Amino acid sequence: MLQLKNISVAYGEFRALNNIDLHVDQGELVVLLGANGAGKSTIFKAISGLVKPVEGSIQFNSEELAGKKPSYIVERGLVQCPEGRKLFPGMSVRKNLLLGAYVHRRDKEGMQRSLKEVYELFPILEQKADDAAGSLSGGQQQMVAIGRALMSRPKMLLLDEPSLGLAPLVVKQMFEVIQKINEQGTSVLLAEQNAFAALKVADRAYVIESGRIVMQGDRETLMNDERVRKAYIGG
Amino acid sequence: MSVFIQQFLNGMVLGSIYGLVALGLTLVYGILHVPNFAHGAFYMVGAYVSFTLMNAMGVNYWVAMAGAAAVVAVLSVLSERLVFNPLRHAPPIHDKIAAIGILLFLEAGVQAIYGADFHRMPTPYNGAVSFGGIFMQEQRLLIIIGALSLMALLHLFLKRTMVGSTIIAMAQDREGAFLVGIDSNKVAMMTFAIAGALAAVAATLYAPINLVSPAMGHLVIMKAFVIIIVGGMGSIPGAIIGGMIIGFAEALGAFYISTDYKDIIAFALLVVILSIRPEGLFTKGTR
Ligand SMILES: Nc1ncnc2c1ncn2[C@@H]1O[C@H](COP(=O)(O)OP(=O)(O)O)[C@@H](O)[C@H]1O
Ligand SMILES: [Mg+2]
Repeated sequence: MLQLKNISVAYGEFRALNNIDLHVDQGELVVLLGANGAGKSTIFKAISGLVKPVEGSIQFNSEELAGKKPSYIVERGLVQCPEGRKLFPGMSVRKNLLLGAYVHRRDKEGMQRSLKEVYELFPILEQKADDAAGSLSGGQQQMVAIGRALMSRPKMLLLDEPSLGLAPLVVKQMFEVIQKINEQGTSVLLAEQNAFAALKVADRAYVIESGRIVMQGDRETLMNDERVRKAYIGG
Repeated sequence: MSVFIQQFLNGMVLGSIYGLVALGLTLVYGILHVPNFAHGAFYMVGAYVSFTLMNAMGVNYWVAMAGAAAVVAVLSVLSERLVFNPLRHAPPIHDKIAAIGILLFLEAGVQAIYGADFHRMPTPYNGAVSFGGIFMQEQRLLIIIGALSLMALLHLFLKRTMVGSTIIAMAQDREGAFLVGIDSNKVAMMTFAIAGALAAVAATLYAPINLVSPAMGHLVIMKAFVIIIVGGMGSIPGAIIGGMIIGFAEALGAFYISTDYKDIIAFALLVVILSIRPEGLFTKGTR
């Protein structure tokens, strides 16, 4: 469904990604593991069209997306929930969610249906619908961010470190929700440093270090791998 | 008391015009993150377009205003496409230099065509109205009503429509806006078009009680800058209320202190307000 071939990205002189090969199949939940600064967000930015790769190809359902505009990529159903959430802080929760459905803005009924679905997934957001998104707690803001991404009815969701800075209990809820979204048919690519929690819900995973994929495999293989345990699970 | 009300109304007239100009400036700032120094020239060109449509072609005041709004909107969008958009990856100083370039180009262009002389813009509203012992020129009343209606319309557009919301979304979080599928080019062009149209309407409203000249934009744009600094860069309520504050201060200052100092009052107020609230009146800590 999503296939990256030989993707390299540079920020000026600095090469942040080197020849990344990666794929996500229909219905999969794939995890991208890596320490801070490894290049996870850069991969996501390249997929979403926020940075242009210097080489390589990004195909989504057999269509080449490298070099396309972010809005075009969202319209294709490939949607990112970014690190740091990137909400519209001064707007209400409802407005944030509705703007998530911007690409479907002419389908008012569909928007209301999606909104209801997001409220069912995160009931607290319905209570906070009129509050400014910037006034919510970190966990709630993360819910708005995921909800906003779902409003565009993605075929594939890119989640960049949704657990960052959240309390353990909230992290647990977040992973349950991600699993649920995946089970309902949305393919997911999830970037995480939190290997233990992420691998538990993953079908497969990639490990990235200094802009290169250094390991890949299914859940069991990586869970039991000595190096992964040492580097990311601490045991 | 009636003298005070008179000055209050004068302040509102000034505040309405400054507010319209500052609104365009603040909207563009939210998108570009650069002060558009050319905005005052758009204001000036707006007045000349209306003036020409009325004087040379004999069209009606309102049609001239609509024509000026359309012409300046196109001019403003062209400046975005041809100048600011190609510079989007350049350091901010390049945008500032380019904006001054556009300003000088338009002023020189208008001066070449019309000369440096002052012109008087006609208006069909030459009478005065009186209520309760207060006299007011019709044109001044029109400025207040026109500007306030336009601000209300703009507010509804930005808050209630999906398309209008994209302007605010992009100002609040650029990357977030990209990731919901908002096209930055469309938003930038729309914002420049609105800003240009507002400037042209403001100029057509104000010129009949002032004068038309190539330099007419200077003081207005300087005050609009004061307003958006005082109101908080990029803040929409800041531009409107800031406009009123400067308008009132100027009208009351001109009457109670001296007309010679009225143009300095805005800047004095800037210094006072910034020393109390350096971030501006309406900036929230989060931005
Ligand atoms: N805009 C940028 N300009 C320059 N370097 C950047 C930029 N963004 C990220 N980098 C660098 O690229 C590398 C990868 O960053 P990132 O993709 O954010 O990693 P991760 O998401 O895995 O923490 C880091 O060394 C980071 O410092
Ligand atoms: Mg990251």
